[in-house]
Amino acid sequence: MERARLRFVRDPTEKRLHVVRTTGRRLRSLLEDVGDVAPRRDLLKRVKRAAAATDAARDATIVLRLLENNVTSSERELAQPLFDRLREKEVAATRDACRRLRRARFDK
Amino acid sequence: MKPQRIDLRGARSVGDVAKRVLETRLSEVRALAGMLDRREWPGLHDFRIACKRLRYALERFEGLDSSLALAADRLARLQDDLGEAHDRDVLLTILPPAMGQTQRRLQSEREACVDRAIMLWGEVRGLMQAIDSHHF
Repeated sequence: MERARLRFVRDPTEKRLHVVRTTGRRLRSLLEDVGDVAPRRDLLKRVKRAAAATDAARDATIVLRLLENNVTSSERELAQPLFDRLREKEVAATRDACRRLRRARFDK
Repeated sequence: MKPQRIDLRGARSVGDVAKRVLETRLSEVRALAGMLDRREWPGLHDFRIACKRLRYALERFEGLDSSLALAADRLARLQDDLGEAHDRDVLLTILPPAMGQTQRRLQSEREACVDRAIMLWGEVRGLMQAIDSHHF
């Protein structure tokens, strides 16, 4: 998780964001499964926070790709304001995720 | 939806741990499976999250029994389909009303995603029966 975080904050690409999120989900699942005998509440909280920090970036990217792939040619012009809004949101949300993950740590 | 706490006290082997974890996560999935028939969020979301927890547990223990990998694979596909359906729902809520053709296309794809998830759940259910009677 720490390696994934570092890679993302160095170069915040869509793929690296995906790796942060999937790695976080797996770690969270493990922590929840063994929480009874090996509680790591603080780490679990940080992992959940990291997921929340990346939600908006992920959502904007996914919805944008979906719109690009599904808009019919006759309606492309109508979709242009939505395209612009989603692109702006994607950039801003990725920047925000990067800023928040820069301060996170998962190796302790 | 919060995951159930798993009582691991007294577990003597990895097999014991696997059995308790899988039983708990499987019961969560089964309790929510009815949401598939309703085809709506947030029920589908809760079911998807429960599937995800079960899938990760199956993947974690697949070294104990390679048959767990098959169930994990089907759950991954089911989860993908429900995720795709949800992404379409999100886009449909912000799509300009005048984009009727795109809207119909997205709605039809969304329903196809849920149909595939229902089909995959049928497969997973069969595989889970084998896990129920499994001894690690």
